[in-house]
Amino acid sequence: MRILIAEDDPVLADGLTRSLRQSDYAVDCVATGDQADHVLLTQNYDLVILDLGLPRVDGFEVLRRLRHRGSKVPVLILTARDGLDDRVRGLDLGADDYLTKPFDLPELEARVRALIRRGQSGGGSILAHGALQLDTAGRRATLNGVPLDLSARELGVLEVLMHRSGRVVNKEQLAEQLYGWDEEVGANAIEVYVHRLRRKLEPAGVVIRTIRGLGYLLEKPGHAEN
Amino acid sequence: MRKIRTLRSQLIAWLAVPLLVLWSLSTVVDYDVARRFVDLAYDRQLLEAALDIGRQVKVADNRIYVDLPEVALQMLQTREIDRLYYLVTGPENEFITGEPDLPALSDPTTDRVRYYDEEYRGQLIRAVAVRVPVQPGSARGAVMIHVAERLTIRADSARQLIFGMVLPQALLVFATALAVWYGVGRGLKPLASLRQEIESRSHRDLSALPEAQAPNEVQPLIRAMNDLLARLSAALASQQRFIADAAHQLRTPLAGIKTQTELALRNAQSDEVQATLRQLHTATEQTTRLVNQLLSLARAEPGARREHATEPLDLGALARNTTTEWVPRALERNIDLGFDGPDAAVKIDGNAFLLKELLNNVLDNAIRYTQRGGQVTVRVVPDTRTVKLAVEDTGPGIPARERERVFERFYRLLGGGSEGCGLGLAIVREIAQSHGAEITLDAGPNGVGTAVQIAFPRAT
Repeated sequence: MRILIAEDDPVLADGLTRSLRQSDYAVDCVATGDQADHVLLTQNYDLVILDLGLPRVDGFEVLRRLRHRGSKVPVLILTARDGLDDRVRGLDLGADDYLTKPFDLPELEARVRALIRRGQSGGGSILAHGALQLDTAGRRATLNGVPLDLSARELGVLEVLMHRSGRVVNKEQLAEQLYGWDEEVGANAIEVYVHRLRRKLEPAGVVIRTIRGLGYLLEKPGHAEN
Repeated sequence: MRKIRTLRSQLIAWLAVPLLVLWSLSTVVDYDVARRFVDLAYDRQLLEAALDIGRQVKVADNRIYVDLPEVALQMLQTREIDRLYYLVTGPENEFITGEPDLPALSDPTTDRVRYYDEEYRGQLIRAVAVRVPVQPGSARGAVMIHVAERLTIRADSARQLIFGMVLPQALLVFATALAVWYGVGRGLKPLASLRQEIESRSHRDLSALPEAQAPNEVQPLIRAMNDLLARLSAALASQQRFIADAAHQLRTPLAGIKTQTELALRNAQSDEVQATLRQLHTATEQTTRLVNQLLSLARAEPGARREHATEPLDLGALARNTTTEWVPRALERNIDLGFDGPDAAVKIDGNAFLLKELLNNVLDNAIRYTQRGGQVTVRVVPDTRTVKLAVEDTGPGIPARERERVFERFYRLLGGGSEGCGLGLAIVREIAQSHGAEITLDAGPNGVGTAVQIAFPRAT
């Protein structure tokens, strides 16, 4: 997996490069927009981490040219600006994700993994959550390699929760996912599916939390149980 | 208020004082003029009387006598105003008739008519001496006729005359002052309404003052003030841009420090290095938070306001989404974060970006200061005229006497730990105020913890 980092701050660029190399990615690093543009013209990457405030040619322009050439390489934007306009403009130009400086390293790594996975998968892929694995193409889930007995709707709910592991999934998002399976997926039906999932997963230490008034959250594996 | 009153009394003073001085001067001059006319009139009467007497001077048997009928005499002596005194002397200065002791002209001249002032029986008199030839053409010489009257009656007449003139003048001065007082009040009305306009403004409103209805004299003032307001808001905006730029500039090096620290924490073998790195990491997090809050504050302040237009938005949805983003943080600290609000949209006029900052800051405080295992709840409660956004926690609470002070910048509660930088609630207040919202700080439900309540006016 090859990643291009376009970042003009040497300390940050060095930190990113070394941490991603430790995760066994091949990392190239450039410090200006025109260099980034040039390298992207000649080399193929699986992911570009692009700072918006690059000297000479800014990140927006690099991104615009990249997409103009028809490249579909996933782009993660890094920016010191958190204004909504910048975010919208970046995403409009074809960025795939967005992180505001300063960020947590694990957060960046998680986004990098997700983007590379998205870039690679033609359709289904394997979602992993500790001992839990879900094959989105094969529509089946295993716990410690043992197949779980889940209905299609339960699997659908679990897939959404695993996609957004550690983050809140509200009932509307779950209902959306299940739309088409059922004519009507009410809030009560979702509660039932979640309840059944919990019964099947909790013995293995997989926790689905209810967040008051907001929805559900699949706790990150290894999260301390209090 | 006081300044405007001063302007009015100044105008009054500038008008009334010269008017009074002029009035006094004119009284003096008027009196003089009146006196002169009175003198003229009375002198003429004296002369008439003297000439009347002169016409009656007869010569018979070489004796000169005045043939004054008794009636005429009485008329002279019992005039309505005051009696006249007279004395007729012959060519050799011999007494002919009248008051023998009436002072005669001491140096008989050749003038036909001569007026003079004298003292007679202890009173000032005005007299006229008329030389009347006894027989035209004869060498017998002339008879001197003296007629006098007391001066006091002239003073009385002059006084009456002057009162008749001066009193209406005084009334005129008074009426002028009154008219000026009222007129100035009316004339200054645009200034008063301008004052009201300025007084009723919030400190964040730096928009131009209305110029249209003001009279021509006031317009340059308004224009100058508008110019000042424009420069002020430009200066404010540039200062805030500077803070925002500085905060942005700080973010990249901070990201570098943070990434390097986290990387080093992973690789460090010795416990001592680990501990140092953890301290470094904590410091970096605090600095990051401070930088972010400075940025929020710069954004929330008046000068930056026009960059953040308001629009009708659903406060319920905004609060729900923002709260959702905080769930992972809350779970890390094992805090039960929840939301309670209506499903239906609750509209207020606001700026989504700023409102999110507001809730972020309240939630950051609530989660930071609530102990593990505690509870934080965000509520949206629609009322008839307001929508209340409340964040309740089961943390240590804020003592009642400190509740106002926590909104000050860089204010920290004693014993509140070292994590906060004390800007959070200042940002919250700034944003709440810019939305016309009222913010209150209370104890939470059952007197436990803190409840921050922000009441927004409902969108119409």
